[in-house]
Parts: sequence; C-alpha cells; structure tokens
Amino acid sequence: MPTLRKLQRRFAAALFADADESVSEDVRADGSDARARLGIYRKQLHAAFARTLALEFPVIERLVGGEYFQRLGRDFQAVHPSRAGDLHHIGAPFGAFLKQRFGGGPYDYLADVAELEWALQECMVAPEAPVFDLHALQSVDPARYADLHFEFHPACRLVSSRYPTLDIWRANQAGPAANEIIDLASGETRVLVQRCAQVVDFHVLSVPEFALLEKIVQDFCLGAAFEAAQKNDAPFDLGATLRRCVALNAVTAARVSTTR
Amino acid sequence: MDAQAPCSGIGLRSQHHAEFLERRPALGWVEVHSENFFARGGVQRDVLAAVRAHYPLSLHGVGLSIGSTDPLNRSHLAQLARLERDFNPILVSEHLAWGSVDGRYMNDLLPLPYTAEALRHTAARVGVVQDTLGRQILIENVSSYLEFKDSEMAEWEFLAALAAESGCAILFDVNNLHVNAINHGFDPSVYLNSIPPHAVREIHLAGHGVERLGTRKLLIDTHAAPVCSAVWELYGAALERFGPVRTLIEWDADLPALDVLIAEAKKIEQALQVRRADAA
Repeated sequence: MPTLRKLQRRFAAALFADADESVSEDVRADGSDARARLGIYRKQLHAAFARTLALEFPVIERLVGGEYFQRLGRDFQAVHPSRAGDLHHIGAPFGAFLKQRFGGGPYDYLADVAELEWALQECMVAPEAPVFDLHALQSVDPARYADLHFEFHPACRLVSSRYPTLDIWRANQAGPAANEIIDLASGETRVLVQRCAQVVDFHVLSVPEFALLEKIVQDFCLGAAFEAAQKNDAPFDLGATLRRCVALNAVTAARVSTTR
Repeated sequence: MDAQAPCSGIGLRSQHHAEFLERRPALGWVEVHSENFFARGGVQRDVLAAVRAHYPLSLHGVGLSIGSTDPLNRSHLAQLARLERDFNPILVSEHLAWGSVDGRYMNDLLPLPYTAEALRHTAARVGVVQDTLGRQILIENVSSYLEFKDSEMAEWEFLAALAAESGCAILFDVNNLHVNAINHGFDPSVYLNSIPPHAVREIHLAGHGVERLGTRKLLIDTHAAPVCSAVWELYGAALERFGPVRTLIEWDADLPALDVLIAEAKKIEQALQVRRADAA
C-alpha cells in the first residue's frame, strides 16, 4: 500500500501530466473507467484555473479570443501552477509568461496589457491606508526636504509601456466588440492605477512625473527622485506633482532619512 | 432570531451581493467562501461587513487542503484566523479533502484514501486548525468520482472516526451523499445511520449534473442546478436521523435569480418546521 504522501504525489502527477498510468493502480476501477474518472478531476483542475484567469484578464481574453485563451491558460498553468489555496493569486506571473511567449513579435504588447490588468486586480484588493497628513511636514526642517521618503498607497500601482495599453484596455471593455483601430505606435503609456472609493481609476502621468513616482515607490529619497525626474527634457514642476500626489492620496505618509 | 436556532440560509455569491443587501431577505443566516474575503481591502470586505451587520455568518473554506501531506499552509490559516476574528462567524467549516502536494495546488476537493494513516494525519491537522482558531470547526463530506483500492474503511466510518478523534463537528452535505451513493454504489441509509447525530451541526443541499462514462452514469457535484427530488427525500431522512439542523442552499455556477435561492431556502424552512413539530 503506498503511503498517503506517495499516493498524493502520483495523483497530482497524473492530473498535471495527463499520465494516468502512474495512479491507475491506486484507483478502484478498471482500465478505461479509471482513466475516465481521473479525467473528471483533470477537467476540473484546468476549468477552475481558466475561469479565474479569465476573470483577472478579461481584456487579454477578448484580444486573443476565448478558445485561444483557454489554450494559453493551460500552457500557463503547466509552468505556473497555483501555489495557494486561494486562486486569486494565479495571475501574478501572467504578464511575464506572455512576454516570454510573444516578446519581440507582433503580439509583444499583450504582456503589457496583462501587466495593466494585473495592476488593476492588485489595486482592487489592496488594504486601505490613512490620508496623508500635511501637518506632519511642518515639523520637518526645510533643509532636509531632499531626505524625505514617502509611503506609496497600497492601492496604487505605476504601469508603463511603449504601447498605448490604456487605450487598448479602454477600447476592450464589456459591450459590443470594439471597432476602434489602435495604432500600436501611437504612443507610450505611463499611468497611475488607483483604487479610490472602491472604483479603480487611471491617472495619466508625464515622463518626469512617472520617473519621480517610480523612485518614490522604490523608497528613494525625494532628492534622488527629483534628480531622476529632471533627467528628462520635459518640463517638470515638483511642487505641483507632489500636490497632485497628495490630492490623489497616492502617498500616505512621509519620513526623513535617518542617515544622509 | 436566535443565531444558534436551526434555520435555513443561502450561500451568498458576489453576483447577488448588491441585490441581497438592498432587499435584505428574511433568512436565518448566510454562508460565504472564506477565501473570497482574504483580501485586506476592497469592496469584498465592505460587503461582508454589511452582511454580517444583519445576518449570522458562516465561513466555509475550500482551500485549506486539510488532508494534504504538505505542511499545513500557515499563511492560509493565518488569513482564515484574521477573517474569523474580524467577522465573528457562528460557524467555520472546511472539507474532508486534499488539494495540494509539493506546493502545487489543484484547488479542488480531492478524495482521500480512507486508511488509518490518513485518519491520523487528518485528525491531527483538524486539531491544529481548531487550536489556532480557538474553536471547533465543521468538516464536510465531499463528492467523489473515484475510490482508492487501499481504503481500509468506508467513507462514513472515516468521517465518524474523524469527528470522534479530532473533536470536530460535521457539516453533512446531503447532495454529496447522494452523488457518492450513485457513483460508488452504496446504500445512503447505511451512511446516514453511521453518522453520530450529535456531531452534525450544519447541512448543505445543492444540485448536481450527470456525466456519462461509456455505459455508466456518474453524478458531478456542480452546484449549478436545483436540488433534485432524491436529495430532498434524503434530506428528510437526514432530519429524521439528526433532528432539526441549520441547513444551507448552495449554488455556485450558472447562478439563478436571488429569488430562486430564497424559494429553495423556504422549502428547507418548511422541512425544518415539520421536523420541529415532530420533535415537539
């Protein structure tokens, strides 16, 4: 009699690898019947995963078509199976998977659309955070403003792409199939994805705004973030950008570096 | 209504959240899938808080993989414990199943071999969950489409022994009993009569589908159809055996209008009333 562990390993291997032989000797059924019974579990394994993936990436599904999306989902599951009892996390590596599959080709943009959709998913379930208290800045010596670090709101994500992914996302929302033709060379995307009052919104950012916020997210101090923003030729107003971040509640707190 | 009184409830799914909160139908309680509310923010938790403000709540888990030989997923358990603390449910339940091995999850309720080893293992893990949550949990019998050759006891013997060894209660799914009786060819009354009535604290009713394997008919636990007459009949037998027990209508796929679920819950309520009158 196999141990429970051995039996579970054989069962899982049979389901994932489409190989019934390893486990059919454990099942109380004969030949084709044993395979058919295992087939029910195999179908469920793929169906539950595909259902969740489709809920998380409706635009990708719409772009590639339902049937092809099912095949993609199955290939994705083979290399990135669920790692938790809660299926909601499965989409995290989907963008990277699409990049590997389609990167450099005519469908290179799919990975970036997936990253936008995943950012939206993450924002939807992120915890709340306090509103930024501007009074806290009054106690900071102006000479040390460059050493400020800001906390980014957990329900905010920065997403960028060399493709117009936000336009693609907007053109592929529920409703009749989009007739709009989007030129993939029509512009880059730099966007702040944010959940506010249980609705996810997109705020388009300029090149320096994005550079500044990217550094802030990476916990660089304001001085370093400002430097990164200034590396671009585009006009940039630090005060206006920070005021916008506070107004959007994209930053929730600030602290001064303990070392300089 | 007494939060502990046997009464009917429904499994609440996201498609019905808005209408449910707007109408607040007269139901004794509501059950949700725990994992759908693990996220620390977002609309789901707000909905659950609003539901909890008006109804007794039961948390029904589908992903703890309690029968797996992998180490118990402490992160999953911690999330369940936080949810339990935040929403103070009347019941917390999981399944007599496994769904993962070597860190790879199948996110399904897979059957166990009913062996002494599996019983010791599962009872110990139920114990850990109960100790962590500081409360008794309920374990539900699952539908299955195959049995293992090396099982040393019947499913009903395993379930009764698990309750006795771990001190857990039983969530008795009557549809799963019917599905397994057909799929594996046993007499459901033997199963029912082997379950200690005092251990059963909740009953589930649901619909199933049919799949043909050659000449054989296999029932599939879809939760996508009305409760069939055979299951209603078995439910009557279950109430006779267990007495009036809090009962839920479960519907997860091809979800009908909320009114359909409420009508099914009313049928449960009528059956419970008959049972209460008989008991009196």
